[in-house]
Amino acid sequence: MGAGAVAGGEANVGTFCCAGCEAAWEIIHGAGLERYYRERTEYAPRPGGHAGAWNAVPVADLDDGTCEARLMVDGLRCASCVWVVERVVEASPGVTQAHVSYATGRATLRWDPATTSLADLAARIGTLGYVPRALGEESRPDRGLILRLGIAAFAAMNVMLLHASIYTGWLDVMDDRYLQLFRWTSLALMTPVAIWCASPFFAGAIGGLRNGVLHMDVPIALGVVILYGHGVIATLMNHETYLDSLGMLVALLLAGRMLEQRGRRRAAEAAVSLAASVPHAARRSTDTGVETVPSSELCVGDTLEVGPGEELAADGIVVRGRGLLRRALLTGEAEPVGVEGGDHVEAGTVLVDGSVQVRVLAVGTETVLSRMASQLQDAADRSVQPTAADRIAPMFTAATLVVAALTFAGWVYFSTLNNAVAATVAVLVVACPCALALSHPLAAAAGLGAAARRGLLFRSTDALLALNDVDTVALDKTGTVTEGALAVTAAADATLRVAAGLERHSIHPIARAMVAEAALRGIPLPTATQVREIAGVGMAGVVDGVHWTLRSGGPGVVELRASGDAAASRVAGAFGVAGAFRVAGATSATGATSATGATATGTSATGTSATGTSGASATSAAGRIHLSDAVRDDARATIGALRAQGLDVVLITGDHEHAANRIAREAGIATVAAGVLPDAKADWVRRRRDAGGRVLVAGDGLNDGPALAAADVGVAMATGAASSVLVADGVISSSALAPLLAGFRSARACRTVIDGNLRRSLVYNVAAVAAAAAGFINPLIAAVLMPLSSGIVIYGAYRVEGMVQAEESG
Amino acid sequence: MDAILFLLPLAVALGAVFAIMFVVAAARGQFDDLDDPPERILRD
Repeated sequence: MGAGAVAGGEANVGTFCCAGCEAAWEIIHGAGLERYYRERTEYAPRPGGHAGAWNAVPVADLDDGTCEARLMVDGLRCASCVWVVERVVEASPGVTQAHVSYATGRATLRWDPATTSLADLAARIGTLGYVPRALGEESRPDRGLILRLGIAAFAAMNVMLLHASIYTGWLDVMDDRYLQLFRWTSLALMTPVAIWCASPFFAGAIGGLRNGVLHMDVPIALGVVILYGHGVIATLMNHETYLDSLGMLVALLLAGRMLEQRGRRRAAEAAVSLAASVPHAARRSTDTGVETVPSSELCVGDTLEVGPGEELAADGIVVRGRGLLRRALLTGEAEPVGVEGGDHVEAGTVLVDGSVQVRVLAVGTETVLSRMASQLQDAADRSVQPTAADRIAPMFTAATLVVAALTFAGWVYFSTLNNAVAATVAVLVVACPCALALSHPLAAAAGLGAAARRGLLFRSTDALLALNDVDTVALDKTGTVTEGALAVTAAADATLRVAAGLERHSIHPIARAMVAEAALRGIPLPTATQVREIAGVGMAGVVDGVHWTLRSGGPGVVELRASGDAAASRVAGAFGVAGAFRVAGATSATGATSATGATATGTSATGTSATGTSGASATSAAGRIHLSDAVRDDARATIGALRAQGLDVVLITGDHEHAANRIAREAGIATVAAGVLPDAKADWVRRRRDAGGRVLVAGDGLNDGPALAAADVGVAMATGAASSVLVADGVISSSALAPLLAGFRSARACRTVIDGNLRRSLVYNVAAVAAAAAGFINPLIAAVLMPLSSGIVIYGAYRVEGMVQAEESG
Repeated sequence: MDAILFLLPLAVALGAVFAIMFVVAAARGQFDDLDDPPERILRD
């Protein structure tokens, strides 16, 4: 990284301050625009000022006087990015620690508040070319659980060792004072486990009971109390104890809980990263002119200058100017909308054309976008839904208590009180639902992990499991089945060369699609002069001495025409700003887009021949360029596999029938619900559900929000609107459709394993309780049975990944 | 065998030292991020 001369020995090219500048130079040079460096009158503005208040970030004050906070760092592409950020920030004065996680994109910084500030550090990261972002997250995850787990495991293993000696001592008579020593040591080790390590279960049980809910924590807490209480009394009376089983129980359950929590946290962090995106700089106009400031410094009432291509850093109202605004992040609609004075604009939206002045109405955490992100966080932190194990917990507890009472009564009647107490304790001990409580969280964590590794993040296990009941998959068209961006489907190289040359400076979606396609085909772009946009008509300009006009030729088609040579015609072009050059219904291209008008799509007419042409012969470049929203590469295979599973796949879209049908044909979808207006999508879903269907909706836009919420399972595309991510149960983190299929497979494996685990652990409990009631259980047998039953459950969870892989390979 | 009366408390005390080391490590954030470090060693 850092300074480095560019290869190729170009003149006037020295060294660059950073890789970002070098990359920028390469792009500019590659596009033939070196002139920029000669003609620029000043350096490009960059955010100055170091006093920016990164107030939204929760800062933890540590005991040693340093502060700690967590930032999101955008633009980390590889391990060396992580390395650079860590080293450079760590080398800054006052920084004691900088840790960047590549997996989550989070930087954890620790600094001395007397020497530096978070804003300084953020600015430092900014100068490297990475974008630091404020997050509402606490700097550190909850450490209580891992501490409890560690201590419980430590104590459990030591007690197990002691009890192994006691049990082997049965074969040979063991001296009483050794037994006493072993029992008292075990009790001492188990006391913190029962009181402190098991406290989450007590808290859960008490909380549940207070709300009138009897969930899984209740029988667990009951088991812990009985195991420990019996341990204390038995130790005092010099009897056998079950303390080794207690240690094992608490350690296993805490491990299960931690795995589950980790899985959920990872999904939540990923979702928040996707939603929280605000530019880090803005241009503010002041009395003296326009200054570039970090967006964290903006205040309500400031006036911002927003030019073409710029992203808004705050919510506000347009006070002057007109422009085209792309609200994709909020609404998921790729097509920009026109804004003018009086219109509200939101942070995170992009002005694709025009220029406006915006008065700031909300900044930082108050913006619509930030609120969405924090709602996401809250939703992720929400308490866990009751699981299948929780639902049988009341019956389970009641049954255990009844059996214990019957055992006690029976043994008192037929035998002695001592035997009755021993048998009753044995019943309560083996009834403690260790395997049952583990059966769900472990399999759930495995299922969520299997889906997440394949690009589908679920916020809850319930959502994942609900996939098993789904019989209808409703897919939104634009951005879900299709790429959501225009692409050139057919054009002659010569036509594309001229058109892209005319359009090279425009940032309209159609222009970008043409320029991208030209780059893909390796066509060098010609220089266009006298380029002008003709409002509502198209683009005009001179290439190779010929005057060209580019205009809409119907839906999804752009027409390039030669209109004489340059000298002859000068289009008295009105410089339109807003709405200039819109191809109506471009995303809904008509029927045949395949090869109509594409005369030389092949590689024969490559750039070289096209570049050689000039003058009159170049007029042969006139032609049509077809654009459409391409179906995702993996759509057909994914949808085919979904249908093979017996699912009813429906394409649901607001578009016209012929456009929808074309996409459906390409993607292999049999059922099409076309012309469904945004509001009607949710109604459509509800009607399906009322008819007994279970519906999954996958969509990416704001207009999909109600449908996603109404569905049994809503899955949002990460590339879509933040609002759709907010209401969805799951997010597809990659730009593909295949994760949906992986989600169904993970859900099936997860359900199979959970059901099997529940069955096995219930069988274990019933058998063990029966044996205990009959007086066959002693501490040694309990100590073997409990880990054995838990081990079977853990093995079940371990199989989830393998089951998903087996299904993938055939 | 009387040695065990002395050795057992010693062993438990020794174990407790390691338990305390674990508590200190956890309190210093050693276990805050369990996902990144295993990957990091492959990238360095």
